[in-house]
Amino acid sequence: MSKIIGIDLGTTNSCMAVMEGGQPKVIPNIEGGNTTPSIIVPDQNIVGVAAKRQQVVNPKNTVFSIKRLMGRKFNEPEVQELKKNYPYAIVEGQNGLACVEVEGKIYTPQEISAKILAKLKSDAEKYLGQTITEAVITVPAYFNDSQRTATKEAGQIAGFEVKRIINEPTAAALAYGLDKKTNEKIVVYDLGGGTFDVSVLEIGDGVFEVKATNGDTHLGGDDFDSKIIAWLIAEFKSETGIDLTGDRQAMQRLKDAGEKAKIELSSTTETEISIPFITADQTGPKHLNKKLSRAKLEQLVEDLLQRTIIPIENALKDAGLSKSDINEVVMVGGMTRMPKVNELVKAFFGKEPHKGINPDEVVAVGASIQGGVLGGDVKDILLLDVTPLTLGLETLGGIMTPLIKRNTTIPTAASQVFSTAADNQTSVEINVLQGEREMAADNKSLGRFILDGIPPAPRGMPQVEVTFDIDANGILHVTAKDKASNKEQKITIQGGTGLNKDEIEKMVHEAEQHSSEDKKRKELAETKNAADTLTYTAEKALKDAGDKVSAELKTEVEGKIKEIRDVLQTAGVEELKQKTQALSDVLSKIGQQMYGQGQGGTAQPEQPNQGEPNGPDNNTSNDGPVEGEVVE
Amino acid sequence: MAEDKSTSIGELETRLAEMENNWKRALADYRNFQKRSEEEKGFFIDFANESLIRQLLPVLDNLETLSNHIDDAGLQMIIKNFAQILAEEGLVEISAQDKEFDASTMEAIEMVEGKENTVIEVLNKGYLLKNKLLRPARVRVGSGDKKEER
Repeated sequence: MSKIIGIDLGTTNSCMAVMEGGQPKVIPNIEGGNTTPSIIVPDQNIVGVAAKRQQVVNPKNTVFSIKRLMGRKFNEPEVQELKKNYPYAIVEGQNGLACVEVEGKIYTPQEISAKILAKLKSDAEKYLGQTITEAVITVPAYFNDSQRTATKEAGQIAGFEVKRIINEPTAAALAYGLDKKTNEKIVVYDLGGGTFDVSVLEIGDGVFEVKATNGDTHLGGDDFDSKIIAWLIAEFKSETGIDLTGDRQAMQRLKDAGEKAKIELSSTTETEISIPFITADQTGPKHLNKKLSRAKLEQLVEDLLQRTIIPIENALKDAGLSKSDINEVVMVGGMTRMPKVNELVKAFFGKEPHKGINPDEVVAVGASIQGGVLGGDVKDILLLDVTPLTLGLETLGGIMTPLIKRNTTIPTAASQVFSTAADNQTSVEINVLQGEREMAADNKSLGRFILDGIPPAPRGMPQVEVTFDIDANGILHVTAKDKASNKEQKITIQGGTGLNKDEIEKMVHEAEQHSSEDKKRKELAETKNAADTLTYTAEKALKDAGDKVSAELKTEVEGKIKEIRDVLQTAGVEELKQKTQALSDVLSKIGQQMYGQGQGGTAQPEQPNQGEPNGPDNNTSNDGPVEGEVVE
Repeated sequence: MAEDKSTSIGELETRLAEMENNWKRALADYRNFQKRSEEEKGFFIDFANESLIRQLLPVLDNLETLSNHIDDAGLQMIIKNFAQILAEEGLVEISAQDKEFDASTMEAIEMVEGKENTVIEVLNKGYLLKNKLLRPARVRVGSGDKKEER
């Protein structure tokens, strides 16, 4: 059965997504981008980034922002305004509708939009490897009937059966799962590349109702870039006296650098803009090198940010609501990545806006979810849960050894083989842990049980397989089985943990906070384990070698063993490592002497680890059994 | 009672069919995902260096610009070595000068006097990485007029 894709047919960029395995997935275009510029050369059928690249060469035939003409009458003032400003020809078509004329041929906005949709369709088909015939397409909430009809027709011309036209803010709210809420008021703040839209929605019984819309049709990311460019030009002029505005190449480089700086300042507080050889005068080449701080950027764009506040106030007024009535705020559009935008909206409403989904893609994601619902993909699909925290068990030295990492989709199972920590140990205790900390004691113990009846054997020999299995209901079954005797014990932990979301977040947060000290404690525990194992191996090696080793060497090895044992509980990592290395070094002499006797003194020292297969290097690898918790 | 039972069996059968359908669909999604994930793996191996090379290109640009200002044999060697390393990774310069403008590999920055629709000057070299466009060549394109158009 064919998929229904969700399409955000945007003014400057378009984006598409599809439900896959119950999850929305953005479909990249054939050029590898997640969004496609809504730019078209209709007579040559060039669409997207390639059309954008030839815009300068072919301005009269390059159509952009066609969405502004969808379903509009030619004599509307807005259309007349665009006609004045746009390089391509806007003409009157049938029934007085606005159309574009390229190379003597008249195209309706539907036909132009259809070319974008047709490219998206073909790219999606290549990506998904199947024919796509059905789509959900989004439109701004303020679109009237004729604009919606025009959008639907565009879809049909492109070869789609348009299953539904939905509002962009509704799609964004869907992407954040807000359809599950009842009787809530939602504000969607959409600051995109070239337009700003604010919508007030009300959700009741899974149906969204648009209460009010407002915005600024000519405010977006490009205006922010322009502010940075203007600042750079002014700074450069004051330093060098050179005006860069007439230099197209320099302007292009400024535009690239300005956009890059804007993006960087969303994650850092200061960035350096450096454009070597931006121009030259009689004194030689000139370079541009400016530091731009986030605070300075915020100051530069302050008026733009303030311009978004009035439409919000107007929309609230039209909806008959006050700020405090709003339950949820959703952020859409690339510019909402700017921390100041988020701050501003947060301060205005007094609540944290929804973000997290890529704001350039969130509308398409929501449309694909609607597509999934219509196609039956979403309705009854098993909502697969994830384990919120890591599950593991306690091993030697009080270390938490994870078996199932957090965020693993369930049902799932994992198993690992462990061993004993002492000679002739006949039982192991399995302490089932949940949490993100490195040491067992810092995590939550979900339960413990003992597997006994392990046949007596030297430490490290028995193989105990521990299996963690979480079923679809989130119930954890832990089984420990001795491979030699086939004896097994199990425990079932019902309903996970009873931890709520806040507690889980707290635990994850704590783990992040303590991450470096936890790593140190774990390293110490592991070093102790390694040292302990090596002393044991050394003793065994001495015993096995018997009188094949000299008395001096025997005394030396015993001395080193004692040195380790004396400080095992008190020493730090470095000291233990040093002493372990020292023991390891003398230990290799045992092998040397044994082989030396056997082969008439020709043994090479290249194989120092002969006779100590459980050397410290092997101890932490995953190849062999890992020591289990000792039971007294 | 008998009727109740048959209804419930009917319901169960519907439910079963629905479940089987859902299960198959999820499985199909997974298989398709696996296939694409395999393909993408190959792609990632091929283009693992892409982002690094993309970031290095401006450095190469600047070294080349520098060499226009400073005549130094050492600098020439550095540029040559640098370009050679990138070439070994599959980077190929787009030949644009005097060619017909091609939007699939070039970006027009400005129209200037000169032969129509022809690249008059390359402002910023373009590159292909393993036959995929990494960066378009930024070019000045001839307007066909003797004098500059604007």
